[in-house]
Amino acid sequence: MKDLKNPILEMTRRRFLSATASIGSVAALSAAGMSTVGLQGALAAEPEKPKEIIVRAWGGSWVDSLKAGVSDSFTKLTGIAVRHDLTEDNEIQPKVWAAVAQKRVPPIHVNWDTTTNATKSALRGVTEDLSDLSNLATVTDLAKPVGLDGYPIVNTYGYVYVLAYRPSAFPDGPPTSWKALLDPKFKGRIALYNDGIGFHFPAQVAGGGKVEDIPGNMQPAWDFITKVKDQRPLLGEDPDFTNWFQNGEIDLACTISTNAREAKKNGVDIKWVVPEEGAKFETDGLWIPKGLPENELYWAKQYINHALTRDAQQVWLDGLGLPGVVPGLTPPADLVGDPSYPTTPEDFKHLIRVSNKIQVENESAWFGKFKAIMQS
Amino acid sequence: MRAYPLTWRLLDVLEAGVAKVFPRRLAGATPYLMLAPAVLLVGLLVLGLFQIADGSLRTLDTTTFLMSESYSLDNFRRALTEPLFRNVALKSFTGSLIVTAITLMLALPYAYVMVRTKSAALRKILLIALFLPFFIGQVVRAYGWLIILGNQGLVNETLSFLGIGPFRLIYNYPAVLFGLIQYMLPFAVLMLAPALTAIPEETEAAAESLGANWIQTFIHVVLPMARPGFVGAGLVVMTLSLTDFAIPAILGGGSQDFIANAIYDQFFRTSDQGLGATLALLLVAAGSTLVALVFALVGTGTLGMGRAKQ
Repeated sequence: MKDLKNPILEMTRRRFLSATASIGSVAALSAAGMSTVGLQGALAAEPEKPKEIIVRAWGGSWVDSLKAGVSDSFTKLTGIAVRHDLTEDNEIQPKVWAAVAQKRVPPIHVNWDTTTNATKSALRGVTEDLSDLSNLATVTDLAKPVGLDGYPIVNTYGYVYVLAYRPSAFPDGPPTSWKALLDPKFKGRIALYNDGIGFHFPAQVAGGGKVEDIPGNMQPAWDFITKVKDQRPLLGEDPDFTNWFQNGEIDLACTISTNAREAKKNGVDIKWVVPEEGAKFETDGLWIPKGLPENELYWAKQYINHALTRDAQQVWLDGLGLPGVVPGLTPPADLVGDPSYPTTPEDFKHLIRVSNKIQVENESAWFGKFKAIMQS
Repeated sequence: MRAYPLTWRLLDVLEAGVAKVFPRRLAGATPYLMLAPAVLLVGLLVLGLFQIADGSLRTLDTTTFLMSESYSLDNFRRALTEPLFRNVALKSFTGSLIVTAITLMLALPYAYVMVRTKSAALRKILLIALFLPFFIGQVVRAYGWLIILGNQGLVNETLSFLGIGPFRLIYNYPAVLFGLIQYMLPFAVLMLAPALTAIPEETEAAAESLGANWIQTFIHVVLPMARPGFVGAGLVVMTLSLTDFAIPAILGGGSQDFIANAIYDQFFRTSDQGLGATLALLLVAAGSTLVALVFALVGTGTLGMGRAKQ
């Protein structure tokens, strides 16, 4: 984070403060439904507009939702086209890091990233400070990354790693515990993420341990994961879960509720629960890599600021089925009261949230341990 | 004027030009000049290896996600002692050896029939069947197997029609080996075919005229004479299998990683480029040692360097 105190960067930021002061007015005008022409007039004094900005995104329904909720309306508002780069978040990261290290212009303007991944970039000092976004004044605490100074990332929504199941495999009612994964009848028919993400913390509880012991003593988690390994789980990434449910390969999986909902939309008979041990709650966010030309940095910030407006969040997150960071959003009809769409303090009692800083500092070790168990 | 055509005059001009740039007295340097592109290519690879070697000696600081300024052997200690990497290495080496053995066994009859058949139609069919997979990428082929061998795939559907199964035919170690063998078979056939072509049919006829039956001829004449092809094909299949990424990733269901998958994980999942570089370096070293060992034991195969020893 020391780079943020670099005098040159401070100068750059100050230079933009005057320009970003108008962000709020843009958002307000947007909310008021002002015409595009009028807005363009209001934006006439802004820095030169690039023809397009590049936003890294996940594919499928993820990018469709972003386009519908944020990108299209941003283009309508500013006239700047938005190109979505579907390079995987893990693979864009070294490219951005290398560009910043070599003082080149980074390959993207905005990175839509997991907060954990983005925290690594923030710790490395390759993220622009976003503290001056005007719409941060109206967002909930969820938008603030835990364990980091300022806003190197802005969290834009939260999500839950649920236990998704095929109802026909549970004739006596839905599973209530992560221990359902150990039922012999599901041997070879369960799935986890291939890096174990989303499963470590509930496994800690299901294995008899405490969340407070993370990261000091995670032996209960490893013991439980070892038992799950004996069930020969499939290990994959987001699209795999939808495919596996669809192709009849699995009956149970630890996955993000969005993937389960997407499979359901595709006609797969699937439901999900937050088991009694709890489920991991995580956030995704947006951030801007250092090294952009000043005018492009300005408009990249406008994009993120726009993503924090109520209208943009409502459409974007309706598509994803996830709770946002702007108060007053209406949950999609199919998710009202759903534990994977937490809105009240009571909902959050059953969810496990650990600081992203702790997660990134231990990620390599946890990853190695999980892989060692699964590859044995 | 027809006695000295225009094309000849052009060639004369070109020759004079070349003589000025590269005088005849330097003719002795021509072979070295021709080697230059290869040297340049290898040089670039070696430069890359130096960079990787440098990275392998730096450890990741997870509080800043920067590589250390100082050198240490910590990444090598982790790579050589942690059970994860031991398991992955064991899977990779065992897998590449099994794939090599089975692929060579399948490639030999295919190549032999393709080379020796009197039927032009059969040869064409075999050639088309050999080259067709090259037009379909490795990833597409692996996904094809998912469709065919999946729980609701063609094979299981057929079996369920017969009242058997379904069986889990993918996402396990045998599925990875199967996918690799299918991928490597054309390479092996292509490497074996020239070696078999080089065996004069008369030699086989001579063996048979001396009383050997076809099996004896095949074992005592064809196989020994095809050894350079076996060595070449074996090395190609073994090194490609050892370093493969896509097949273990797609057909292994996430639990059958090879070394390349572990390298990817370090570079792109944990952001530990130092450990990733270490694993890459160890893979290069292990692969090179294996190749050197084969060269030392059975010669250089179809690379043709054996001629220099004669």
